[in-house]
Amino acid sequence: MKARLLIVLAVIGLLVPACTGGSDESSPTDETASGPVTLTMWHGYTDAEADWFNGAIDEWNAQNPDIQIDPLFVNNDKALQKLTVALQGGEPPDITYQFGSSLPQLAGAPGLMDLTAWTQQPDVGWDDFIPGATQAATFEGKVIGVPALIDNLAIVYNKTLFGQAGLDFPSDQWTWDDLRAAAKALTDPATKQFGFSYPMDASEDSVWHYDPLLWQNGGSILNEDETQAAFNSPEGVEALQVLTSMAVDDQSVYLDIQNSNYTDIFNSGKIGMLMTGPWDLPSFPDVDYGVEILPGFDGDHQSIAGPDVWSVFDNGGGRAQAALTFLQWLTAPEQVKTEDLATAHLPIRLSVAQDQSFLDEFAKALPGVDVFAQNLENVEQARPVLAAYPQISEAMGLAIVSALLGEKDPQAALDEAAAQTNDALALGG
Amino acid sequence: MSAATQDLGTVTRFRRFLVSDHVAGWAFILPSVVLIVIFGILPIVWGLILSFQKAGLISPEREWVGFENYARIASDPKARQAAINTIYYTMLFVPISILLALFVAHALNRKIALIRFYRLAVFIPVVTSTIATGIMFLWLFDKNFGLANWLLGKIGLGPFGFFEDPNQAMIALVLMTVWGWLGFDTIIYLAALQGVPNELVEAASIDGASRWTTFWRVTWPMLGPATLLLVVWSTISALQLFDEVFFVTHGGPLGRTSVVVFYVYRLAFEQGLGSLSLAGYAAAIAYVLFLVILILTLAQFWLGRRVVHYSS
Repeated sequence: MKARLLIVLAVIGLLVPACTGGSDESSPTDETASGPVTLTMWHGYTDAEADWFNGAIDEWNAQNPDIQIDPLFVNNDKALQKLTVALQGGEPPDITYQFGSSLPQLAGAPGLMDLTAWTQQPDVGWDDFIPGATQAATFEGKVIGVPALIDNLAIVYNKTLFGQAGLDFPSDQWTWDDLRAAAKALTDPATKQFGFSYPMDASEDSVWHYDPLLWQNGGSILNEDETQAAFNSPEGVEALQVLTSMAVDDQSVYLDIQNSNYTDIFNSGKIGMLMTGPWDLPSFPDVDYGVEILPGFDGDHQSIAGPDVWSVFDNGGGRAQAALTFLQWLTAPEQVKTEDLATAHLPIRLSVAQDQSFLDEFAKALPGVDVFAQNLENVEQARPVLAAYPQISEAMGLAIVSALLGEKDPQAALDEAAAQTNDALALGG
Repeated sequence: MSAATQDLGTVTRFRRFLVSDHVAGWAFILPSVVLIVIFGILPIVWGLILSFQKAGLISPEREWVGFENYARIASDPKARQAAINTIYYTMLFVPISILLALFVAHALNRKIALIRFYRLAVFIPVVTSTIATGIMFLWLFDKNFGLANWLLGKIGLGPFGFFEDPNQAMIALVLMTVWGWLGFDTIIYLAALQGVPNELVEAASIDGASRWTTFWRVTWPMLGPATLLLVVWSTISALQLFDEVFFVTHGGPLGRTSVVVFYVYRLAFEQGLGSLSLAGYAAAIAYVLFLVILILTLAQFWLGRRVVHYSS
């Protein structure tokens, strides 16, 4: 009720272009700025990330009086919504941080730069980016983003709880059955202690924690030509059954409906193992934790990457070209090293990820983060980059949550989601 | 008559016009009229146009599809679920919040020590931000670590899943919003109770009416206008529930708290931004909700006029 004003403002945004018309040609321009330009840049960095980011921008601004960067904080979770409003007002930022999963929705935006030609310039070093990140920045053959950040999922465990239970630490040879047994042993209803945790908000977070199990077991999200759901295959059902058995039969999983409490609870020593990414590590100052790659099915330990990008909008006057000059500097190996050491972000550059002296220093910056860096090698597949993906994600998210709550059995839940997925694919492509 | 005097006549008439109540009145309300037109009327018209188009909010393409968006609502299972959830919520929220407010207002309508403090305490949740309320209730109603389950456990009840249980989430949401809005309803009732003439109550008791009969035959009819206001207001608010769902449950678990406005938001601002182009469809749902609210409100006022007693 109190947010009504916000919605009204968003709708107002719709009116403005109707009155002004506005030019929406997204042709990359070669023109360079004639005088100094100030570029607006949206980012979602906080705390240590913000310290590094603002420092990098100060450094750039001091050295480049002709291209000044004006950073603006925008919560990542709502960056797409805010951009929508800005686009309706005809004033998108020059550079904006966006989730990789938002790109298919963004692709039709007026003024969005097609960066394909730019990536072919040798000094950009496009091939030096982690492949999973460049894949996510590409939609229907066009590059529409510059890799900004890449994550992956691994197991973070509480060493103290493992010690108390007399269990061996997870190893890189673990199977999901090993994880299930350990989670059961670590669970104690009397002290409200759980072996494992799972995001239950039915968002994409619920889905991408399941994807690695699906892939490891030989399943896939969609069929090969991306026209039909494939996750309700026997492999997919078996993968979901593992999580369901833990949640329903063993009751060893903290089902985090908000998908936000788990960090505090893990940090209080009430959860034995998490399946999460490097971004959570700074939230665990009170726990002696270890990091290990994901358990596997039949020796397949592949993980999943969550890449985010910088998108560039052409606001004329050579601004887009200036934005790319800046992004090239920001994502160069030199800056990436500084960034990673300051923020524990994983390297988005291959040359950095393979630099042993860097990795040694990186592991000292934040314990366990080197395992995540090496785990990038275990990223083999990407989620479909499709306009219908948000609906596929919603269907899968609801299926996973209903199975883990014991409302439906995995087969029935996934079959229902598959039917919805096929509808969405037929409708939106 | 010379030209000069004619001019003088025009000037006087103009001056008289300037000082008339008419202009002064408009001048006073102009700022709010401008705001209402920009933030109220124009979006309403734009939403109507949008509801006849296939349009996403990001891409500038707009395709005219007539009543297709409206026709689609009937066959959309998620829209049906959202409608059922909204009706369920409204039927719980409106009677519970009003009856509870009547009870609390009665309790607060007396001269006892610290009465101002009690009244303030009841009203504070209304001015507390939804986000703060939401965070508090999320921890209060946490299945494993929440105070509510701990207390209920002491008397041998629970544990309840609250927001985590698909069958309890809506009830937990009702409890939370009733708590949040109780103060407003209470203040309205309190004001109305204080408007009930004491002579009537005294006359009734002298005539031998019991306290219950006095309340039912004298006080309750006198509260009619306040009750009508609260029923209409609460129903409209309940049908437009959004903030609490957006922040606390995000429609879950399993879509059991996905109410209409939240579903509209998801379609327009989360899922349908790109080539799925669902903003037009979302606008159509919003318009159907608008019509439902309009009809319900008119019905309530029509009913109210027949049963509510307005004292002169």
